[in-house]
Amino acid sequence: MATTDQEVNELIKREYEHGFVTEIEADTFEAGLNEDVIARLSAIKKEPEFMLEWRLKAYRRWLEMKEPDWAHVGYPKIDYNSISYYSAPKRKEDMPQSLDDVDPELLKTYEKLGIPLHERAKLAGVAVDAVFDSVSVATTFKEPLAKAGVIFCSISEALRDHPELVKKYLGTVVPHTDNYFAGLNAAVFSDGTFVYVPKGVRCPMELSTYFRINAANTGQFERTLIIADEGSYVSYLEGCTAPMRDENQLHAAVVELIALDDAQIKYSTVQNWYPGDENGKGGIYNFVTKRAACIGKNSKVSWTQVETGSAVTWKYPSCILRGENSVGEFYSVALTHNYQQADTGTKMIHLGKNTSSTIISKGISAGKSSNAYRGLVKFGPRAEGARNFTQCDSLLIGDRCGAHTFPYIESLNKTAIVEHEATTSKVSDEQMFLCRQRGIDPEQAVSMIVNGFCKEVFKELPMEFAVEAGKLLEVSLEGSVG
Amino acid sequence: MKPASTLSTAFLHPAGQALPEPLLALRRQRGAALVDMPLPTRKTENWKYSSKYLKLTDEMAISLPTAGKAGSALAVPGYKVVFNNGVMMPEASEYPDLEDILIQRFGDLSEAEASELAERLDSTLDNKTVQFAGVNSARFEDGLVIRLKPDAVLDQPLFIIHEVTADASGSAFPRIFVDAGRNSRITLVEEYISHGHEAVMVNAVTEFTLAEGANITNIRLSMDGDNVQHIGATGVLQQRSSRFESHCVGFGGPLRRHDLQVRLEGEGAECKLNGVVVTQGTQHYDNHTSIEHVAARCDSEETYRNIAADKSHAVFNGRIYIHQDAQKSNANMNNKNLLLTTGAEIDTKPELEIYADDVKCAHGATIGQLDEESLFYLVSRGIGRREANVLLTMAFINELVSQIPVEAVRETVQSRLNQFFEKAFQEA
Repeated sequence: MATTDQEVNELIKREYEHGFVTEIEADTFEAGLNEDVIARLSAIKKEPEFMLEWRLKAYRRWLEMKEPDWAHVGYPKIDYNSISYYSAPKRKEDMPQSLDDVDPELLKTYEKLGIPLHERAKLAGVAVDAVFDSVSVATTFKEPLAKAGVIFCSISEALRDHPELVKKYLGTVVPHTDNYFAGLNAAVFSDGTFVYVPKGVRCPMELSTYFRINAANTGQFERTLIIADEGSYVSYLEGCTAPMRDENQLHAAVVELIALDDAQIKYSTVQNWYPGDENGKGGIYNFVTKRAACIGKNSKVSWTQVETGSAVTWKYPSCILRGENSVGEFYSVALTHNYQQADTGTKMIHLGKNTSSTIISKGISAGKSSNAYRGLVKFGPRAEGARNFTQCDSLLIGDRCGAHTFPYIESLNKTAIVEHEATTSKVSDEQMFLCRQRGIDPEQAVSMIVNGFCKEVFKELPMEFAVEAGKLLEVSLEGSVG
Repeated sequence: MKPASTLSTAFLHPAGQALPEPLLALRRQRGAALVDMPLPTRKTENWKYSSKYLKLTDEMAISLPTAGKAGSALAVPGYKVVFNNGVMMPEASEYPDLEDILIQRFGDLSEAEASELAERLDSTLDNKTVQFAGVNSARFEDGLVIRLKPDAVLDQPLFIIHEVTADASGSAFPRIFVDAGRNSRITLVEEYISHGHEAVMVNAVTEFTLAEGANITNIRLSMDGDNVQHIGATGVLQQRSSRFESHCVGFGGPLRRHDLQVRLEGEGAECKLNGVVVTQGTQHYDNHTSIEHVAARCDSEETYRNIAADKSHAVFNGRIYIHQDAQKSNANMNNKNLLLTTGAEIDTKPELEIYADDVKCAHGATIGQLDEESLFYLVSRGIGRREANVLLTMAFINELVSQIPVEAVRETVQSRLNQFFEKAFQEA
């Protein structure tokens, strides 16, 4: 051991020198991961020194960790040294020059989803002057946010402008030791979002990555940190309903939410990454760690997610309910089609008195896909009067798909009450018959039934998102009947 | 000292060589597979909550010598087979000599019969998930095989008393195999009891195979003492239109583990699994059940209730697995838990794995305490607080206790439950 330690130490020293003096010219790092790469990444981003230390610590620990294999998914082994960990934003001449160059299939989908024309170009990565549009949006939202004192910027900016806030909270909810992918993310995260809502402020608008300028190309290792100070409220939207063009196959993001006394955070996600073709080729691996800490009394965090994309999803947005009377909520629709695999759910860890949580999970599997709910509800010995209600329903479309439920329930307090219910069913012949009889074609009928099945979750989404989510399911389910 | 990570070699030496050669060969083969068997840890998924209770010492690896004939004193309303420390006691047993129902010790089997049995032993259990059944297969010194010919019906319940005399440290490995022919019918009651105070392990395996239309009712009472670590497994294989009903009643101990695995392999097969567990003091109990719907149109219904008092720990893990061809399956699982004190722990994990679409599956699980309003209702009508607690707790499990089809067993359970209530609700 001693020799290897020594070797490592030497390596670190050497790389430190190079990391800080090397002139950065390359736009994209060559594939591979070592301490040198991390040092260069940190240097490019002009991060404070504590960040580099933090990243290196995470990296060293990550080297000792094992990739988790307990999830109900299967995928070929990932070679972490074949990935490039930094790439500068694309130059305009490399991008498609107009909508005519874009895959017509993609455009058809945009049409069906009812996405405004000027947004389509941006989504498809067309090199039109997207900034023109964003600037107007940016100015209209920047002003009221600044007035309210809300900090909303990329995490790299936050590290430069508000290092004390980042240092205080980064990694407190998801430490770099948490799991394999969180460790990797801590070492190499490229960028992400930072939100701070000061005491007593109700954020005047819904924040969204999609509208943040420079939000594109945040890369595959995204890191989000949202802090809601005492008595504040913020609603945050992640992703968008349109299929995003993306070259990275592995996504390992980390999201940390912190709610202090009486604060409330609402986090909504619509995820529609490339799921691979109908034969299961390609597609994105989405290995995300999302966790919220309800530190303060009466704090509340609510996760809402609609997942239709990715070839493999591994994601458990969780709440640690530490503060008295804190509330955690999880509403999820996960749809899998073709060869998609999803292992998703939540963890509600009740530590404080009178904490309560609600879990509503709707899984829809079609084609040859596999869709699993995995959840943990835990009551600590001090969680007096804590309460949980869980409902997970699965809907099967077609006889070659799988739907699974793996709920863990652990209670150490007699006054805590937990209820868990799960059902599995299919779109019944009677339902279909009723719709057909009334002149509705089969595809539309399935879509109606599925929408009804998901209603409880959709109603938690912000209005315009909910409408889009409905349409999204319709598009995703295409070809699943008949 | 760090606990050993693999099964001690001390456990690899079976006693008793009086078995027919095919069974001895099976034992050797299973024993060879146990070399370096990893012992479960907190990271072992199916022992996650229970591995800390498993404490095997080399002294416990010794096969307990057969001792008394205390079991003969037990009067039962039916036929009786007594096992002492894993070995059958013919002089204490009373069962009929019938033409169509053969009840035999492993030692009395002919070479041909033994060879047929050796092929079928272990066929009902998934050896990956019930690791310790392999230890039984490597160590059993005796066993009982019950063969029902087609249409045979045993007129009275057959009681199998598994008695352990723990005057020294050691282990017992009782083994039962039931082969139920077409349309046959039997009620089998298994009672696990113990005397003595030394630390011992009981590792019991019972297997059932049901041919078309066979009907088996199995009652399993786990009532060993607080010095007994009990690891048991029951495997069931069901053919077309057969029916299996199980009632497992368990009282806690230092380690209690029961794996119940049912495979519905023929169309229209049906199973009903009921379970009641009560734990108190620092006791533990862990039930793992698995129901696999392999064929179409099968029904399964499972209801388990746990009550944990003081600082005890109850675990339930129920798994329903629907295979791709098991269309029109109906599966229902329900697990309710009562946590009587803060300090006790209940962990439950009702799992569904479904690969067919035309199915109706549901599971529900709850953990909670006695309803304050019901308590208030009773107390306001002049019933003492303690009695009200007992009434409501009994009501929580009575639905299952009352379904036990043999009256004498119901009475035994009730008297044991009364002892439990006595200790659990001491305050005025």
